[in-house]
Amino acid sequence: MRTFFILFTKELRSFFLSPLAYVVMALFTFLNGWLFASMVNAMRLRVSSRSLIYNLFESGWFWMGFFILFPLVTMRLFAEERKMGTIEGLLTAPVRTSEVVLAKYFATVVVYVIIVLPMFLFFPIFQMVTGEQAAFHSGALWGSALGLFLVGLFNIAMGTLASALTSNQLIAAMLTFVFVMLHYFLGFLHNFGVVPGSVWADGLTYFSTTEHMRALSEGLIDSRPIVYYVSFSAVLIALTHHILESRKWRV
Amino acid sequence: MIEVHQLTKRYAGQTAVDGISFEVAKGEIVGFLGPNGAGKSTTLRMLTCFLSASEGTAKVAGYDIYDDSIEVRRHVGYMPENVPLYPDMRVTEYLRFRARLKGLRYRETKRAVAEAMDICSLAGVERKMISTLSKGYRQRVGLAEALVNKPDLLILDEPTNGLDPNQIRQSRELIKRLGERHTILISTHILSEVEMTCGRVVIIDRGEIMASDTPQNLIRRLRQPGAVMLEMSGDASAAKEEIGKLEGVKEVRRIHERKNWTTFSITTDPHVDVREDLFDLVRKRNWKIRELASRTASLEDAFVDLVQTTATASKTDRKADTGKRKAGKEEPVEPAPAGSDSAGNNPAGNNPVESET
Repeated sequence: MRTFFILFTKELRSFFLSPLAYVVMALFTFLNGWLFASMVNAMRLRVSSRSLIYNLFESGWFWMGFFILFPLVTMRLFAEERKMGTIEGLLTAPVRTSEVVLAKYFATVVVYVIIVLPMFLFFPIFQMVTGEQAAFHSGALWGSALGLFLVGLFNIAMGTLASALTSNQLIAAMLTFVFVMLHYFLGFLHNFGVVPGSVWADGLTYFSTTEHMRALSEGLIDSRPIVYYVSFSAVLIALTHHILESRKWRV
Repeated sequence: MIEVHQLTKRYAGQTAVDGISFEVAKGEIVGFLGPNGAGKSTTLRMLTCFLSASEGTAKVAGYDIYDDSIEVRRHVGYMPENVPLYPDMRVTEYLRFRARLKGLRYRETKRAVAEAMDICSLAGVERKMISTLSKGYRQRVGLAEALVNKPDLLILDEPTNGLDPNQIRQSRELIKRLGERHTILISTHILSEVEMTCGRVVIIDRGEIMASDTPQNLIRRLRQPGAVMLEMSGDASAAKEEIGKLEGVKEVRRIHERKNWTTFSITTDPHVDVREDLFDLVRKRNWKIRELASRTASLEDAFVDLVQTTATASKTDRKADTGKRKAGKEEPVEPAPAGSDSAGNNPAGNNPVESET
């Protein structure tokens, strides 16, 4: 545990001591702020039966930012250490590979939470500025926060795995990008000619990012998405661990 | 401190290290020598638990590298090749991070880092970003990192690679001093470094150990013909003939002539000194002498002899000398590369590593 915290702190520091974290944070917040404003505007012009939160998280524009965000925060995790050779020093120190993987993973999760957090401030700020009752309830806010957190856990695990696979940050980023995008578009299979209702369609749709977000952003907290995201993240992290350990397999 | 037994590492279709065995006792400074691609780094990576062996075992500080890898790593300070460091950290920040990672308590860390920085003369760069440091400083930061938790054993992979001559001399002094406190295994292909710092040398080539002995013994064992250089004035062709008749002289060659001064290169039987006879001869004939020198064998010659001629049929004999080879192992007969049959003719100063076959 002690080693985990040393590595975790180092990882967080290196995130926030590099300009990347701030650039990503600023641009992401700007993008979402702009989206939030247009959504409010759209709802002013047209009546919607859904809440502001539901509409925001349902929109494809909202997820675009995440396609870029996940590759950006995860690509350097292992790929950079491999490229620079520092992984040799890191893994010849008296540390367990699992501690290294978990420290990097959770540090990235924390970074992700910090990047996404300002977006949740939009809602209370909106309420303060307009003095109006916002078009949502707190359950929806918490539910969507949970949803975004779970999506983050899952995609960061994927990004960590991609980063451990290669010493090239661009390849790691591309892998994560494609994965995040595929994962999102699984929810739109019916647009690609897959007949809804078939086992395949329903099964694959269930994996999709948006599928669980709908219920959660209405404030409906279900244990199934929690189990789904957490267990899949665990599998991806275990795979990352095995990839790093594979250099020590006796073959 | 290190016991290696039949350690083997195979990559896909290629054997990088082939059943090597050697030992390093506590307090020794051992040089691990070999041409590029001989398997030095692979061996060191196995010893530091970065890679696992395909076969064989090794014990470091009494712990098995496979079963007790964490304990091994706790007792070893390792400086990898090219000294990878985090460029976005400051020197003290990096050293403190590494010290903590190696298990030092928060209170001990500050003192340990200050001490390591003092040993490696890092005063003045404490607050500098590693990315702005020169190669020499980086090397010292890497060394400070390796010894920050006072490990029993230091494993340094090419610690002087890429340094300028002054820095090489400094780091040699430093390694010598460190040898008083730590056991050191140092891999290199700079021979003068080994000759001056190491008590023992392990020579490895193509994944196999060629020799393991003190530098002095390796040189003594070298059965290389003696060579004498003579620059004189007088009747050159008569001189050539008469020198050739001296006892122990095998060959006389005229290699240089300017005005009436002639330079001869004289090859003699091993361990025969013909300089006195030469002097007597020159005096008797009333010739004049301007230079008379014997070229003594160096570790470089031993290295060239062991490493370059291994492709010839004498490989088996030579390896039998070391007493470290596998019994009954089939030796593949490889064709001898042209011009490598007589390593003794290799001019001094020609780096044998670059002429790897």
